[in-house]
Parts: sequence; C-alpha cells; structure tokens
Amino acid sequence: MNCFVVRRLIICMTLILLGLPIAGFAAESERLTIIKPKDSLGFVKPVPVNVSGFTGEPDNVLKNDLLFMGVQHVPLDQALFLITGNNNGRVEGHVIDKGSKSPLFGKAYTGGPIRAQIHAFADDVAFLLTQVKGIAQTKMAFKAESGLGRSEVYVADYDGFNAQGVTQDQSMVAGPCWIQRAGLIYATYKFGVPQIFSHQLNSGARAPVARHPAGNYSPAVSPDGSRVAMILSKGGSPDLYVANIDGSGLKQLTTTREAEFSPCWSPDGKLICYGSREPGAAVLFTISPGGGSPRRLATTGAPSPTEPDWSPDGRWIAFTSQSRTFQICIVLANGGVGGEAIPLVEGEDPSWAPNSRALLFCRGPDHAKQLSLLDVPTKQVKHVARILGSNSQPSWAK
Amino acid sequence: MKLAKVPNLIVLGTILSLAAIGCRKGLDKTTQIPKGSSPTIGDTGTGQPRDITSSPPVNTTSTDSTPLTGVNVPSNSNIAANTTDRSTWLENRDEFKAQTVYFDFDKSNIKPSEVGKLEEVAKRMKSSFQGKALRVEGHCDERGTEEYNRSLGDKRAQSGREKLAQLGLDPGLVDTISFGEEKPADPGHNDAAWKKNRRIELILLSPPPAGAAN
Repeated sequence: MNCFVVRRLIICMTLILLGLPIAGFAAESERLTIIKPKDSLGFVKPVPVNVSGFTGEPDNVLKNDLLFMGVQHVPLDQALFLITGNNNGRVEGHVIDKGSKSPLFGKAYTGGPIRAQIHAFADDVAFLLTQVKGIAQTKMAFKAESGLGRSEVYVADYDGFNAQGVTQDQSMVAGPCWIQRAGLIYATYKFGVPQIFSHQLNSGARAPVARHPAGNYSPAVSPDGSRVAMILSKGGSPDLYVANIDGSGLKQLTTTREAEFSPCWSPDGKLICYGSREPGAAVLFTISPGGGSPRRLATTGAPSPTEPDWSPDGRWIAFTSQSRTFQICIVLANGGVGGEAIPLVEGEDPSWAPNSRALLFCRGPDHAKQLSLLDVPTKQVKHVARILGSNSQPSWAK
Repeated sequence: MKLAKVPNLIVLGTILSLAAIGCRKGLDKTTQIPKGSSPTIGDTGTGQPRDITSSPPVNTTSTDSTPLTGVNVPSNSNIAANTTDRSTWLENRDEFKAQTVYFDFDKSNIKPSEVGKLEEVAKRMKSSFQGKALRVEGHCDERGTEEYNRSLGDKRAQSGREKLAQLGLDPGLVDTISFGEEKPADPGHNDAAWKKNRRIELILLSPPPAGAAN
C-alpha cells in the first residue's frame, strides 16, 4: 500500500466515525451500527447470505465452511448479503450488501488447489461478516482403526479432507491431542501398557512424555503448549497428574481410590476439568494445575459426564453424557444457574473449533464410528467422510 | 445516500475501507495460497515417523502409595505399580482362562461370587508357577466412551490385583493393563455380549528365554 492509499484509508475511517457521507467510494454509506443478535444461549445468530456463482464441490465446500462460521446460505429474499463469484480455474469471490448493492469485498485467489482457495475465501467472508477469525483452514487429528485392536493417528483438514497418516506403528493409539498447531501428543500401546509421546509433525520427531508403569493415557496439552495433564496408573489407581510438556516436573493432583479420567484445560491454563466419581456415579471436577481441592462441576440433567472439552472463549464445557445413548452436551463453565446441561445431539467426544461455535464429535457403534461436525447454535450436523474402519477421538487444532 | 434499513446488519467501519480498496476497480486483491501452508507430515524418507526409542521405560519411585510387601495389604489403599518391565515376557492366555472375572455395569469392585476364581489363581501361582508372573488385563463393554473405559478397565485390573494381594499373592508379581473397550470378547451390541466384555483376564507370564532380544 502506498502512502496515498493509506491516507485515503485514514480519511475514510475518520469520515465513517463522524457519520458523514463518503464521496468517491462505491460504498457511499453513512455511519453503520454493529448489531449482533444473539440466541437464547448467547451465540450470535447466523448471518443470512445467498451464495451464487460457484459450482460443483467448491460450492458445497464454501457453504459448509460458512455454516460452521456463523454464516448461513439462505434463499435470496432472506439474505442480507450476497456472496458471489466463481471457481473457473481460480476462485474469485465478492461480498455485496444486498440492500444497498454496495460491494464490500472482492478478491481473487491463486496458487494451491481450488479447495484451499475456497477455504481462504470462506475465512475472509466469515471474518468480514462476524469479526471472528475463520476456521476453514484449520486442521484436526483423530484416531482411525486399521484392524482389530489396531489404530493409527491421522491429521486432516477440519472437514476431514486430505487425511494423512501420522503414525505407522501397527499398534493401538489413543487420545490424540494437539500441541498448539505444530505437534501432537497421544498414547500408544507400542511398548505394552499405554505410554504418552509427543510427535512433531514437520520433522516426525517423537519424544517420550510419560512412560511410567501400569498406564499413561488421556493426555491434554495446556493451551500455551507448555504443560500436559494426563491419567497415570503408576500409583495403583488411575489418577490425574500434570507435568511439563517434556514430562519433567511431574505432579500428582488426585490421590483417590476412584478412577479419574479424561482431563482438559481451561483456555487461560488456570484450571483442569476432569472426570472422577462421587460414590457410584461419574461427575466432572475442576482443579488448579498447582494442586488443591477439586470443585464439582454440576451437569444437571446430563448423567455420567465424561471427556470434557473447554471452549476457547472460556464460556462452555462440552462433554459426553453417558446414558442409554451418548449425548453431546454443553454446560456453562462458570456453573451458570444450577449447572444446567444443554443436550445437543447424539454422539460422543466433542472437540471445540477455535471459534467456540462449531465442534467435532463422533457417533456410531464400536468399530464403525464416524466423525461429524456440529454447529452448536443451530445444531446442524455434517458427517465427515470416514477413512479405514472406524474414526473417533477427534481433536480440533486451536 | 442512506443505507437501506438493516436492523440486523452486522458491518464494521473497516468494511468500507476494504470496499474502498477492493471494489474501486473490481478485483485489486489477489491472495496467493502458499504451497504446503499447513504443517506437512514429516518423514525420514521411508514414510515412517522417526522411531520412538525402544529403551526401557523410565522407572519411577513412588512415594505416596503402599510399598510392595506382598500379603496383608490393607484393603483401602492403592498399591503402587511394579517398575519391572515385563512387556517382553511370554504370555499364556489359556492357563487361567476359566478364571476370567466379570463385573457389573460401570463397576470395578470384585463381586463376592467372583472371588473364588481369584483364590484359585493365587493358589496356583504360589504352588505351581514360581518364577512366573501374572498380568491382569482390564476390559469394558462399549457403553462407556473410549477414555472413560480406558480408566474403568484400568481400575478393574487394579481391583483384581488388590484382591489377589489380599489373597496372598505378592503384588510384585502382578502387572495390570487396560484396553478399555477396544478388545471385546464378544463384538455384539446387546446385553449378552456386553456381559462377556466387562471382565479382567488373567494372563500367566514367563520370562523370555535367556539371550532373547528386548
């Protein structure tokens, strides 16, 4: 951008703030207000748009991407914005305000596959219309069964495309979890009892994190990538421990006779949410990684909660309620009023998207599980194509 | 020119700036999608991740559990796991197959009706299998989630180890492992199958032959 354009930008923004009409620009708008209507759970309602001009699979990809970012394709008469463009050779996309016909955005995308260009456009549209960073170009990891008692870790685009194997140990893996966006941590049965390793994706380098006797599993990496919470059995009962990401500085957080399970971190790294039991039934607790007394997290109406995942905006804890079927539920992380759990869809093992709006989960019988995407506010679900035998334990890179 | 009434409009002032730049001439902006913009899954040329070291696992000293002294272990405390690595010992799954112990749904306590099986195991281990060890393998039915069941299966195995200790078998000779729901005895999706899957299997372990590679 040269100085002239920068000056024009500043003038433009100043005029906007003053509420004066702007001459010489296509937009020609007066002061605009930001209104973000929210639903009863406090999620921003989807922005209604009409998408046209795109064809084939790229059209589907674009609409799906937008759906999970709070932008909903609707018939023309219901739309507030028009998303137009084409994918002939390269993706070109525009956003137009329907009422005023003002063009708000226009870009062409080059390089890489068309699908990547569509994802980039979708992210640009979503950011424009919601001011929340897009998720169309994010990744997820999951476990895929390759045979009886055999599974490997895979990484794919958030929508399941481009799946690539990460492990080839011909053993069993469990509970893959991202170390920020560059690495994974998971448990492997390669050496007998489950042991936890970290795995740098670019180099393939692996390092031990926890190889204690009896069992090391359910690793959860702190959002800043510096620590790991996990379940270790070396003390004679599955207990919650925390350590540095290299496994040093091990600290035992629970010393109960109950079996603890499935920890996750708050986005600020100050709390760990995990499962344990009050005599008889599974419940969720939160505890400081520095130790101390755990606090019960009520999930009223949702029995036997497990595998919690904390939304990156800190607001919600998603979890699986184990009853006759598995149910994905959310509960306010601060307990709300009475800790009422909100059931969403049938399924298990939720993992939040970075935008705290969508999540990945899986559903289906053992050995035939399939990953799915959920838009929490609208409860819309899209299935993710399955690879190999059974896909489960999704982890969305945040 | 007034903007059309859009009570639910969500627009920022910066949008106009973008409009100013992007829309005066149509498409001023192009975005190059970089090749390999996401982390590539690295390999060492053979497609294999670099091998995890196969050196023995780190031994730890447990300071907060009952030390291993064999019999007379109190029934209300955890018994620390053994640090001996028996992952390469030879398995005999047939010896104690009839002594597989079954559990109620979502429970890890050894039912009184099942104790007799563990008595049998303890007795035979002491009388016939000096120098050998035992692995207790914990399993669950599919009505729990994967990590929940990994933990529950572990607790079942440890429950078995504790009971064996109370019955006189040195816990130093007993290891545990959990497979959660991943290795069902019966792959069916009904009560009859689930009942068979909530179990611990007792596996007789023999030391590997002298000179065998680790």
